[in-house]
Amino acid sequence: MGLVRQKTAQLEECEKPHLEGDRDALWAALEHSDASGRRQAAREIAHFPDCAARLVSRLQREQDDAVREVILGALVRMNDPIALSGLVDCLRSEDAALRNEVIERFAQMGREVDPTLQSLFKDPDPDLRIFAVNILASSRHPDVESWLIEVIEQDTHLNVCAAAADLLCEAGTEAAIDALVRLKARFASEAYIQFAADLALKRIHEI
Amino acid sequence: MKRVLIVDDAATVRMYHRGILESAGYIVEEAWNGIEALEKILNAPFDFYIVDINMPKLDGYGFLRELRQQVVPQAPAIMVSTEAAATDEAAAYRAGANAYLIKPVLPLQLLSFLSLMLGEASQ
Repeated sequence: MGLVRQKTAQLEECEKPHLEGDRDALWAALEHSDASGRRQAAREIAHFPDCAARLVSRLQREQDDAVREVILGALVRMNDPIALSGLVDCLRSEDAALRNEVIERFAQMGREVDPTLQSLFKDPDPDLRIFAVNILASSRHPDVESWLIEVIEQDTHLNVCAAAADLLCEAGTEAAIDALVRLKARFASEAYIQFAADLALKRIHEI
Repeated sequence: MKRVLIVDDAATVRMYHRGILESAGYIVEEAWNGIEALEKILNAPFDFYIVDINMPKLDGYGFLRELRQQVVPQAPAIMVSTEAAATDEAAAYRAGANAYLIKPVLPLQLLSFLSLMLGEASQ
């Protein structure tokens, strides 16, 4: 047992940067041309408390899936304002795969994602508000229906409401009926809203 | 009859497009992401593809690149998205889309594009 404990301690020690002076070397390694070097640097940099901005910067340029995975995991674990703001910035990226990875990561955060969702639903960019609905769709958030009702009652953008109505087809209960009826009236000439709201209402009545 | 594959992670969107296309006589199949779409294509390529951008596992750009490079380079494909940014539209064309439509797509708009791209006088 003593040997095992000693080996474990050695491994843990290896994973941590030893000196504050390591920081510069790690930041340089994060820009290394070799992906495995960047991945290792990302793992180690995550131990420094003020590294979120550097990791976000690398993430926005990183093309290697495994390095992205490590950085995304580190930022979600940090769960601090810079890390979360950096992840939200990635939702504005032109890289659709990165956007989807960030959506999936936010969806795994449970209730910890609530402040980010509140911020996303107030974003002036409707695409960001749609991504907020997508986060709800990928998560098992306990308040999903109340979030969606608020969206279809208050959001003025057709596609944001359409995304929320889509999700209400799966997550809607009787509590959503009045809001869905009002949504249909608000977008009376939009074929897709009529289709999605009717489908949601039909499914709710079948429950 | 022409066969169309709808690739979209939103079930309601797939149902909406399916209804429009089936009412016009097309045979429709669905895939919920790019990976599932590629698997379906390997069995039997389709005459036309309607592809969303944001999907899990393999997004619409990635799917179209694979479609063009490895499977059926010539089959027409429409990319549909809620995103109206010019960068998204440009990326869609770079990936191999023949047209880019903003959701929600109107029934007549969708059928007109299909008819035009399939070279049909009418459907």
